Amino acid sequence: MDAAQPFAAARGVVLPRNWATAAGITAALALAVGWPLLIGNPFFITLGTTIALELIGATSLHLLLRMGHISLAHAAFMGIGGYTAVLLRMRMDVPFPFDLIAGALAPALLALVIGPVILRLSGKYFALVTFMSGEIVRLSLTQWSSLTGGANGIFGVPPLVPGLTSGLQFYYLAVLISAVCIALVARLLTGEIGRVMASIRESERLAACSGIPVVRVKVTVFAIASAMVGMQGVLHAHHLHYIDPSAFTSVQSLNFLVMNIIGGADHLIGAVAGAVFLVILPELLRDYQGLQQILFGIILVIVMAGLPGGLVQLIGLGWRAALDLRRRFAA
Amino acid sequence: MLTPAIIGQILVNGASLSAIYVLIALGFTLLFGIMRVVNFAHGAFAMLGGYALYYLYGSLGLPYVLAVPAAAGIVAAAGLALEVLVFRWFYNRLMPGMIGSLGVNLALVFSAVLIWDVYERSIPPAFVDIVRLGGVLLPLDRLVVTGIAAFVLLLFWLLMTRTRQGLAMRAAAQDVEIAEAQGIDTIRIYRLAFFIAVFMAALAGGLYAQTYSLSPFMGERPLLVAFIVVILGGMGSIPGAALGGIILGFVESILSTLYGAATSSFVSFGAVILLLVLRPWGLLGTPDTMRA
Repeated sequence: MDAAQPFAAARGVVLPRNWATAAGITAALALAVGWPLLIGNPFFITLGTTIALELIGATSLHLLLRMGHISLAHAAFMGIGGYTAVLLRMRMDVPFPFDLIAGALAPALLALVIGPVILRLSGKYFALVTFMSGEIVRLSLTQWSSLTGGANGIFGVPPLVPGLTSGLQFYYLAVLISAVCIALVARLLTGEIGRVMASIRESERLAACSGIPVVRVKVTVFAIASAMVGMQGVLHAHHLHYIDPSAFTSVQSLNFLVMNIIGGADHLIGAVAGAVFLVILPELLRDYQGLQQILFGIILVIVMAGLPGGLVQLIGLGWRAALDLRRRFAA
Repeated sequence: MLTPAIIGQILVNGASLSAIYVLIALGFTLLFGIMRVVNFAHGAFAMLGGYALYYLYGSLGLPYVLAVPAAAGIVAAAGLALEVLVFRWFYNRLMPGMIGSLGVNLALVFSAVLIWDVYERSIPPAFVDIVRLGGVLLPLDRLVVTGIAAFVLLLFWLLMTRTRQGLAMRAAAQDVEIAEAQGIDTIRIYRLAFFIAVFMAALAGGLYAQTYSLSPFMGERPLLVAFIVVILGGMGSIPGAALGGIILGFVESILSTLYGAATSSFVSFGAVILLLVLRPWGLLGTPDTMRA
């Protein structure tokens, strides 16, 4: 009921065992690599690139959610990363790997500076303070037009890697970076730091009493998540050859949160499923022009009313049904 | 540069902005305080209030004193249908409720786009006179907006403090289970609170749309305002929402008249962040002892 434990409803969802997870990961990777070979249509390649990019934001926000912190400034960090890299490249001719690295480091640095202050807040207060911070970043990007081009943005962003111009090549680059990010998130969550994060979410005071440097862990995780979403910002700008503040508003931050909750905020699979679902759904509804956003809203309501634990509940329910079936078969 | 005319303008703008902000924020904080719903559709209800006033006053030409409450009443009645269909599934479930109301917001805003298109309309002003008060020129319509809002707020205050219904609402806000154990019909109380919250949002939306302009996306600003005001005053605190609305309305009026709208936004956002860090429970809220 309290914001400190927003996802209690989803706990206890039974998920498949290790071998099934491994099979799922293999299938997902095979699909990601084979996707352009199956359907060579440029539209589907762009769609795939968008999914790969949004996955970075959704899974890095997932990292924060698992620590019990709902950030509504995630898109602002994405914007800071994107603008840093674009400005370095276009104004100061910084070559390829360094602008991407700077685009990841800038938001991480900001996270390191403001993290120790705002991460002391928990639950709804953290959500609110990040919401306001995100608004400040959006205002700055819009108002500081001598640097950022204001609301018009910056046109003609060159390809990220010189010579890498085709959509297909960019797709594979995006998938590679996205997969590395998701793998890192998975590694963090399953390792010791994941258990430390869970203990912070469940009870900060108890975690501190057990000798966990709570603030240091929180700030580190916050910086890692910010660096990742910063990279999404860089890729986003180079994907569209264009950057403007409207992509980094609280709407996009909420989008990341919706992806997590629709998918199921208690499992990394949920964040992944939610991101894929939320990118594909508007495309599926494209035939119903005008009704697209309305149906989208109604589907959000229905999923949340029926599946409070998110879409992963479906996997869980299916798995449990399969187990039941096997047990009955064996008996 | 601070002539009496400018001071008068600042005061009147501040008063009418405050009045609108308090109306929006009170409903928002009521829903959060009683049902634990962060209502992202609050701005959409304000937008619907604007369109209702547009038709009742602008097209049908009902008398202004009748059109204003009737418009808000129609939206609030329609809101009750949404309460039964959607919102009651999300009471006391913070995260699903947030996403659910976001979905409602999307559906309402884009239904409005479908029906009324995206272009901006204007509701004809009810009063064009200017009152001269000791060398200060005061536009009458702003004074009327302030008056209407003050009257509704007074009614709301009387309802909350002087009636059994208000007492029941305050009890449900404090502890739902204990309230139920005392024989309070919480489902009815929830419905009443929802009706009042939507009524005030729609009323504020109508006045806001008449002062500025009317479009399907006009709800974004009132929603943002509701957020800021409620943080300022303290989540779920009713006097806090009133105080926060008045502070924000006047600060915005002073800063945007003297330094421009961008500065005004920077200062108010910055101040709210500072407040959240130093005193997260807001000016008049109480520290959340359940916080881990």
